[in-house]
Order: sequence, then structure tokens, then C-alpha cells
Amino acid sequence: MIQFQNVHKWFKTLHVLNDVNLHVKQGEVVVVCGPSGSGKSTLIRTINKLEPINEGHLTVDGMDLLSKKTDLNRLRAEVGFVFQQFNLYPHLSVLSNITLAPTKIRKTPKKEAEEQAMQLLERVGLAMKRDAYPTQLSGGQQQRVAIARALAMKPRIMLFDEPTSALDPEMIGEVLQVMQDLAKTGMTMVVVTHEMGFAREVADRVVFMDHGVILEEAQPEEFFLNPQHDRAKQFLKQLLSPMH
Amino acid sequence: MDLDFQVILDNFTYFMIGRYPNGPLGGLGLTMYLAVVSCILSFFGGLILGLLSLSRYAVIRYPVNLFINTIRGLPLLMVIFWMYFLLPALMGKTVPESQTVIMGLTVFTSAYMSQIVRAGIMGVPKGQTEAAISTGLKGWQTMLYIILPQGMRNMIPSFVNQFVSLIKDTSLAFIVGVSELTHVGTQVNNRTMSYPTEIFIFIAAVYFVLCFAFTSFSRWLEQRLAWRKSI
Ligand SMILES: Nc1ncnc2c1ncn2[C@@H]1O[C@H](COP(=O)(O)OP(=O)(O)OP(=O)(O)O)[C@@H](O)[C@H]1O
Ligand SMILES: [Mg+2]
Repeated sequence: MIQFQNVHKWFKTLHVLNDVNLHVKQGEVVVVCGPSGSGKSTLIRTINKLEPINEGHLTVDGMDLLSKKTDLNRLRAEVGFVFQQFNLYPHLSVLSNITLAPTKIRKTPKKEAEEQAMQLLERVGLAMKRDAYPTQLSGGQQQRVAIARALAMKPRIMLFDEPTSALDPEMIGEVLQVMQDLAKTGMTMVVVTHEMGFAREVADRVVFMDHGVILEEAQPEEFFLNPQHDRAKQFLKQLLSPMH
Repeated sequence: MDLDFQVILDNFTYFMIGRYPNGPLGGLGLTMYLAVVSCILSFFGGLILGLLSLSRYAVIRYPVNLFINTIRGLPLLMVIFWMYFLLPALMGKTVPESQTVIMGLTVFTSAYMSQIVRAGIMGVPKGQTEAAISTGLKGWQTMLYIILPQGMRNMIPSFVNQFVSLIKDTSLAFIVGVSELTHVGTQVNNRTMSYPTEIFIFIAAVYFVLCFAFTSFSRWLEQRLAWRKSI
């Protein structure tokens, strides 16, 4: 579904992705973790070409991201993206946030788009907030709306970049629950997160990155119980320490 | 000093509408006409120039920015003179003075408006664009449905300032003989000779009331348009 082959990316002289090879199969949930600045966001943002790659090959759902023939807008419609900062449209109601893309891109009739949006809102437990504006919602609620907005395009892949990092602790659970439900429907997901509970329960694979390099790739149990790389051991130790 | 405002009352209709309807519109009526038409035109002019100046294609961006910066580096009077002499030559026929003034005001104000548009667009967080294109929206759809509605809100106060300047700037039309309010004032003054203070106090008061009314109206409008006070 997603295939990285010897992918490199530089920001000026900074080598942010260094020979990345990764294959995400259909229906798989892959968790990406690693220290700050290791290139996790950059990695996930290359998948819908928010960041272009400089070298190597990247194919997503059969589309070659380096080919000029690839319809970028179609690719992005197939790939949902959920941001750390939610990025809901503040000038639109919750319902309009969700229906905008389907009505403008898929030309779904307004009524039908609204019905679908309501189903999605039910799914994330926010049907009663249909007419609210983003600023009237808590962080957790905003993030659930953002997930519904991404799902409204009926994507084949969902990407999450630290979806719970900006949330108060008591709201993290509700968002992770929605993501877990989504994983159960067989959605292909790539999730950047430090929520190790989520990784353990939901992920099929954990990828550990440092300095733009994928250092380790393993089943969650294996990764947590028996990390191979020193950097991974250190990272996990820090993550699990009470100081964190 | 004794002030005698009888001269204002005697010439009141002339101050307000010139010789209209027996002759062309003049006075305050013409001032408002110049301001409103230039205002509408430079709103769109500024929007278009602002968008073009942010184009991702350098062949569009550079000439547009050169044009904007050139205009911003010229006195308005110069732009009006240029239009006055250039426009008829370009069109190959005579152009009414009021239209050359409207063109001058529009070109000049558009250049400033474009900077407001530019800043307004750039003030919208990058995450909004990223979120929009991530759902598959095209560049122009993102601009139209996401960026501009939010940017517009930041632009409104600066727009209002620009338009207040525009109202006052219409007085420069007097230089090419367009009989707007200031010009009418000098005419009446030349004719009566003895009441310059009264006449120009009155003219100043009219400009003030006009600008004040406009500012108040836009403040009211701004509040009505505010979708959520908290953002
Ligand atoms: N647009 C950019 N221009 C230049 N450098 C960038 C840009 N975006 C990221 N970087 C740099 O690239 C490196 C990787 O950044 P990235 O955001 O991918 O890291 P990350 O693993 O997501 O970190 P975090 O956990 O803090 O989110 C960092 O050193 C960062 O400063
Ligand atoms: Mg990041």
C-alpha cells in the first residue's frame, strides 16, 4: 500500500530522511516513534507529498509520488491526514468542516454529504456538536472532528502525526479509542505517537527512527521487551521513566 | 473673527451636487461617486494584485511586485497626472477627467490594498492550507474556501483605513479640473471672494463627517460579520 525504497530527503544541508525503506501493507497499522527531530513528521508527510522527497522511490496505493503524471489532489483525497494541532477551519461549523471536501471535490450533493457527516460524527461520538464552531470544542473533541473530516473523503489510508500530543491527559483516551475503532475496520494506518499503550494494543508493527534513519522495525511486543538498538533502549527508558 | 455661514446656505445645493441635474454631477455627490467607484475597483484590483504577488510562478510574481512597488514609490498626484495624459493617448480618444481620476485612484489604492491582501493571506496559519490540501482540495479551492475567508477578517481594519484615505484623496481630482467637493469649494471662494474661512471649514467638516460615518459603518459591519468573537 505504501512503499518507501531508499528514500532520502534533505532540508538544505540537513539530512532528514536517510535511506528509508518501509513497506506498509493494506490494513496494517504501523506506529512510528523516535526522539524529537528524528524525522517522524517528515516521514509521514512525504506520504501525501506535503513534503516532497529528493531521492529514491515512494509509491502510495499504486501511485508513484515522483511521477509527474500522478494526480496530487487525487492522491491526497485517498490519504487522510490528522495533525497534532487539529487544524480545523475556525470559520466553519463542525458539519461544514466535514462536508467541505466531499461537496467540492467528490461533488457529493449537500444533503447526502451532511448525512454522511452525521454518521461520522456519531462514530466519533460528537453528533450533538454538528452546529458548534471549532473554538467551542475541547481539544479532544476537535481532534475527533478532525478525524471525521479526514474520513469524509473515504480515504484508503489514514496518517496521524502525534494526534494526542497537544491534548490534556484526560482527553487522550477518547481520541485513541476512535483510532482503535478505526483500526478494527481494517484501515491502513501510519501513526506517529509516543502512546506506547496504543502501540502495544493496536499496532502490527513499530518503527523506531533516529536522525532520519529507521533503526528498528519490529512487532510491538518484541520492540518493547527486547529492543535491539542502544538508541531504542535509551528512548524507551526515557519514555517509561516517571520523570516523563 | 466673525464667521458668516450664510455663504454656505446660499450655495448649499452647489456644494452637494454641483449643477446637477441641469449640468454634470459635482460637489459632494461627485466626491462620493469617485470614492465609491474607485473603492470597489481597487478592492478587486488589490485582491488580484495581492494574489498574483503570491503566485508560485516567478514570471508572474516579479513583474507584479515591480509594478506594485513602483506605484507605491510615486506620489498619488503623479499617478493622477500620468493617467490624465497617458490614458487618452493609450485609448486614442478623449477620456472624461473623472474617469482618469478614477483610474489613477484605483491603480494607486490597488497597489496598497495588494499589500494588505498579501499580509492577510500570509497571516493565516500554514496548518490551514495543509489541512485543506490534505483533504484533496485544489490550490484555488483552498484559497477561496479556507484562506480568504479567514484572511479577509484580518484585512477589514486595514481596508477601512485605506478607503478612508481614498475618500480624502479624491480631493486631488481638483488638480485636473474635476468639480468634486474641494474644487467646488475653490470655485465658490473665487466667486464670492470674502468667505474663505467659512467655506473651507465647511468643506473640512464634510470630509470629516463622511470619513467618520464610513468608519462607524464598517465597525458595525465588522461586528456583524464576526463569526466567533473568540478567534
Ligand atoms: N520545513 C523545514 N525546514 C527546515 N528544517 C526542517 C523543516 N521541517 C523540519 N525540519 C527539521 O528536520 C528535522 C526533522 O524534523 P521532524 O519534524 O520530521 O522531526 P520529528 O521527529 O517529527 O520531531 P518531533 O517529535 O519534535 O515532532 C528537525 O531537525 C527539524 O528541525
Ligand atoms: Mg513531529
